[in-house]
Amino acid sequence: MDNVLVRDSISDLPESIIETILTKLPIRDAVRTSILSTKWRYKWANLTHLVFDGKCGTLCNDKGPVEDNLVKFITRLLFLHDGPIHNFSLSSAYLQSSPDIDQWLLFLSRKDIKELVLELGEGDLALTIRAPNLKYLCLEGEFKDICLENTPLLVSISVAMYMTDDIAERFEQSSSCNFTKFLGGVPFLERLIGHIYFTKYLSIGNQLGKPPITYGHLQIVELYQVSFEDMKEILVVLRLIVNSPSLEELQISGSSNTSAATEASDLDFGGKECPTDCTFGLLKTVKMTDMSGVPHEMEFIKFLLGNSPVLKIMSVTPSVYGTDARINMLIELLRFRRASPDAEITFIQD
Amino acid sequence: MSEGTMAVVKSEMKSYIWVQTADGSIQQVEEEVAMFCPVICQEVLQAGMGSSKNYAISLPQRVNPATLGLILDYCRFHQVFGHSNKERKTFDEKFVRLDTKKLCELTSAADSLQLRPLVDLTSRALARMIEGKTPEEIRETFNLPDDLTEEEKLEPLRNITDDPHIRLLNRLYARKRKELRERERLKNVEVEEEHIDKRSVDDLLLFINSGNGDSKGVRATRSKKKNRGRKDLPRESSSKNENGNHKKNDMPDNVTTPIITSILQDSASVTFSPKLEFDDGDIDDELDPAMKEELDREVEDFARRLNSVWPERMQEILSLGQERRFVPISITGTGSLKSYTVSIFLLPFAVTNDVSGSEE
Repeated sequence: MDNVLVRDSISDLPESIIETILTKLPIRDAVRTSILSTKWRYKWANLTHLVFDGKCGTLCNDKGPVEDNLVKFITRLLFLHDGPIHNFSLSSAYLQSSPDIDQWLLFLSRKDIKELVLELGEGDLALTIRAPNLKYLCLEGEFKDICLENTPLLVSISVAMYMTDDIAERFEQSSSCNFTKFLGGVPFLERLIGHIYFTKYLSIGNQLGKPPITYGHLQIVELYQVSFEDMKEILVVLRLIVNSPSLEELQISGSSNTSAATEASDLDFGGKECPTDCTFGLLKTVKMTDMSGVPHEMEFIKFLLGNSPVLKIMSVTPSVYGTDARINMLIELLRFRRASPDAEITFIQD
Repeated sequence: MSEGTMAVVKSEMKSYIWVQTADGSIQQVEEEVAMFCPVICQEVLQAGMGSSKNYAISLPQRVNPATLGLILDYCRFHQVFGHSNKERKTFDEKFVRLDTKKLCELTSAADSLQLRPLVDLTSRALARMIEGKTPEEIRETFNLPDDLTEEEKLEPLRNITDDPHIRLLNRLYARKRKELRERERLKNVEVEEEHIDKRSVDDLLLFINSGNGDSKGVRATRSKKKNRGRKDLPRESSSKNENGNHKKNDMPDNVTTPIITSILQDSASVTFSPKLEFDDGDIDDELDPAMKEELDREVEDFARRLNSVWPERMQEILSLGQERRFVPISITGTGSLKSYTVSIFLLPFAVTNDVSGSEE
């Protein structure tokens, strides 16, 4: 037990330590420290790492007030904040897209934001991000549109894009090229991860041919739920990897509807989209998961195997459905020509 | 032994290096343990220090011998590869069972030696001591001085609730309080401080209400001040209140009691600034003594409430949103005053229309 003579030893700790301590508190507790004493009044306001998650909300099940409260809390807090904000993370299933998010993003872009995580619930948000110092971006939610307008320093992007059917229909009529809007301005990108409808989103309005920039630093690409029966989605994947000379690791997870896929047209990989002399000079690891064995998938694997001279591992995991297609998959895999003598094809059973 | 080699003192063939703490004392520590600290490691490898007593490594100022001992205990355990994660976790949990002073010193020392894992561990322990506790408890744990004024204590809440009227009231209340304090100081001692009011509630109300008819002491302090009719005041003052808040909320009608009106009328304009530097308002000479006592009593009461029901308040505020409720507080000596809205102007953040229920 401390005796009365012991002086206050915490308030004078260096700012970096105070920040470490406050960052380990839920944001509300951190703000509350402002009423402890005069020295503590504005310590919280210098936090560079702000995390708003489920613990922020009140214990109310009613969505409206909870969302309101959260919006107000964040707005007020940002208003009182002082100094740069390097990390901003917001995870709330309650928070629908709202105009406040745009305002927060504008505010954050002026505060030197480097890492942004937005995990939202349902909504219809058209997101535009202009953040010149942003390096890490993680988005999850239902977005109508995502435009990375001024994010030249982005190094890592992870997007999980939900989409309701009516949004998808609306997309069909859109004329702008989502690929360019999203990936047009990220020359230093090293890592791209896309979940759920991300590839589909990129495929809308996609133009063929070289994209505006080459992804010279892109090393890791992970795309999940790629629908191989949709020609447009495959073209997106191709357009991306063909223009990424430094690609080392590729992971693609399929989500094919087997019956639809077998009727799809033959994929001409030697066509305009990928010149026959296209080589993945640094590609070492490829993981194909949830493969149903449909022709497009097999063509894609064949294309990779034939054009990756330093490939070490090609691992194929069949999907849990359609077990009878597996034997056929294996037979085809055996036949494929391999550009890399070290390539190891592994077929992963459950 | 040549100067270039490490001094081998013990028979177990361990290497030792010399370090010097800020108080001047020099000691030997096991090399392998001490090298776990980046700063020491750097000194040994790059500067070649620590090989003898004369070349002892000067440790940063924040490392005293006792803390050094603790740090070495930590390093000694963790630099062994054999321990499982579970064992390490158990060790860590026991390790941070220190009093706050030692914990702070340890954090500081570990930071100066750039021993990041230990800094994280101790910071987490300190954070655990803060999380979920009331301000009182935190102040007690860390011996923090309670040197904020009541107004300042309201600040984060004030800015986090969204009602400009409540904020205005807070500010006015705070100013009045300040004025009263000053007046007490200026006046002579014969003014009794503890005046127990034995009148009945009704009388008190009547007195206060009629007293307002005289308090027309309106002074212009800033150019934004305007005269207002009593009934309209709360609504209109929200528009004259310059603040960054873009939300306009309507006040429920029964808020416009004469007391609030007079207070709003008396006060000068309010400029909202996040730092809350209070301007010196004008002193209203015509404030009557009854109101002054009321304010005094209720201020104390309020302060007590604030300190005692902090977490609940926080929850309340943060969950109130659009809703405003007056929460009646009881005034000592006049038990049944609970049900009257006379005291509403003193409650900054919980304001209810329902005056019959008291949730305190």
